[in-house]
Amino acid sequence: MPSLTLLGQSLISGVMLGGLYALVALGLSLSWGLLRLVNLGHFALAFLGAYLVYHLGTVWHVDPWWAVLIIVPVFFVFGMLQHWVFVVFRVTELTSLLVTFGISVIVESILQWIWTADFRRYETHYAGVSLKVGPFYVPWLELVALIVAVGLAWASWAWLRWTYVGKALRATAEDADIAAAFGINHRLLSFLLSGVCAAYAAVAGAFIALVSTLAPSQIWAWLGVVFAVVIIGRLGNPVGALLAGILIGAAESLAMAVISPAWAPVVSFTILIVLLLWQPKWL
Amino acid sequence: MLLELRDLHVAYGDAPAVWDVSLDVDAGEIVSVIGPNGAGKTTLINAVAGLLRIRRGSARLDGVELGRLRPHQVCEQGIALVPEGRRLFTRMSVEENLEIGGYRPAARASRDASLARVYDLFPVLREKRLQDAGLLSGGQQQMVAIGRALMAKPRIMLFDEPSLGLAPAIVDDMFDIIASVRAEGVAVLLVEQNVGKALEVADRAYVLEQGRIVASGKPDALTKQPRIREVYLGV
Repeated sequence: MPSLTLLGQSLISGVMLGGLYALVALGLSLSWGLLRLVNLGHFALAFLGAYLVYHLGTVWHVDPWWAVLIIVPVFFVFGMLQHWVFVVFRVTELTSLLVTFGISVIVESILQWIWTADFRRYETHYAGVSLKVGPFYVPWLELVALIVAVGLAWASWAWLRWTYVGKALRATAEDADIAAAFGINHRLLSFLLSGVCAAYAAVAGAFIALVSTLAPSQIWAWLGVVFAVVIIGRLGNPVGALLAGILIGAAESLAMAVISPAWAPVVSFTILIVLLLWQPKWL
Repeated sequence: MLLELRDLHVAYGDAPAVWDVSLDVDAGEIVSVIGPNGAGKTTLINAVAGLLRIRRGSARLDGVELGRLRPHQVCEQGIALVPEGRRLFTRMSVEENLEIGGYRPAARASRDASLARVYDLFPVLREKRLQDAGLLSGGQQQMVAIGRALMAKPRIMLFDEPSLGLAPAIVDDMFDIIASVRAEGVAVLLVEQNVGKALEVADRAYVLEQGRIVASGKPDALTKQPRIREVYLGV
C-alpha cells in the first residue's frame, strides 16, 4: 500500500488531469447533446490547436497565452465553416461519426506532414513550476488548466440556463419543430454553437501543448477516455462533463498509484459501464 | 380577414393529406374545424403554423403569404400554436417553457407582464414555475402549452385537440380558457374531436373529411343538418 502522501499527490495530479479531460470534453458534449452531431474531429481540432500554439511559441516566440488569443477566433470561424459543410451535406447524428472520423484522419495526416510523427514537447518557463501545499506539489500549468475548465464549464452552464440563446438551444435539442414554431432560428444558433465548440477545442489544445507530449497519433489516445467523460457527464451538460472529467482523472491516477500504471486505461470504461448498469438517480 | 386559406394543398411526402381547403378566420373570431380521426385536421393546423410545407394554394395572415416564410418566421406574424399532445420542452422548467413562448423579439420586451398574466390565468403554474414541465399532470401541461402560446402575444392562436387525454372536468376549463382568449381579442382556430364542445364555443365551423371541407357555417346551422347530427352528434 503506498503512503498517504503518495495517494494525496496522486489525487491532486488526477484532479488536474481531469481538468484537462473536461476541457477536451466540453465542446464534444455540447455539440453532441445540443446539435446531435458526434464530432470526432473535435480531438483532431484540439491537436491542431496544440501544434499551432507549439509552433507559434517555438518558431515565432509568441507567448502561449497570446497564442490562445490568436487561435480562438480563428477556430471559431473554422467551426462555423465545418458546420456549413455538415449543413450542405445534411449530416445526421450517425453520419457525423463517419464524416468527422474522416476529418480526423485528414487532420492527422496534415499534422504529420508539417510537424512529422516525432514526439514533441513544448518547453516553456511555466513548465516545472509548482505550488507547494503542505507535503504536496500542485503543478502550476495544470492548475491553470483546471481553473480554465471550471470557468468555461460554469460559463457554458450559465449561458445555457440564463440566456435566450441558451434556452433556445436546449428547446431545439428537445423538439426542433415546436422550437421553430416559436421563432427559434435553429440554423443560425447551430452555427454559433459550432463556432463555440471549435473555440473550446482551441483552448483545450493550448493546454495539451503546454502540459503533455505532442504526436499526431496522440489524437486517438484521448478519444476513448474523453468519450467516457462526455457520456458519464450527460450529453450537453457542461458541469457534468467537468465533474466526470475530474472523477475519471482522479480514479485513473489513484489506480496508477495503488495498482499499476498499466491499469489506468481500464478505469474510465469500467466507471462508465458500472454507471450505465447501475443508473444512479443523481446521474 | 385575418387568416385566409385558399385552395390549400398539403402533403406528407407524396401522400396528400389536405386538398383544396379554403377557410377564413376573422379577427376576434373562434373558428372550429371538426372531423373524424385522420381527416387532416392536424395537418391543416401544422401547415398554418409553418411546421409543414404548403404545396399549393395560399395561406395569408393579414395579407402576408405564409408559404413563403421559413418555419421560424411564421410566429413573427403573430401566430402561436398549442400543439396536439402539448409537446412541451419536458426537461426545461415551466417558466423556461413560457419564456420560449415569448422568444420572438416583439414579445420579449413585455416578458414580465406576459408572465404575470399567464400566472394570473393559471395560478398553479406560478407555484410550479421552477419544476420541469415533464413532471406536471396532463391538465397542468396543457396550461403550460396554452401559456407558452399566449407569451408570444399572438393575433391568432391555433389549438390542436386541446381536450385530448384530459379529465372531463378539466376539458370544460379548457374551453372556458379558449373563450377567454378570444375575449382578449385573440382569434382562435380550433381543431377538435370533441364536436359538441367545439361547436358550442365556436362562432363558425368547418367540417373536414378525408382532407376536404364538406360543410361549413354557423354552429346552429350545421347542427341542423341531418347528416352532421347523425355522424358527429349521434342523434
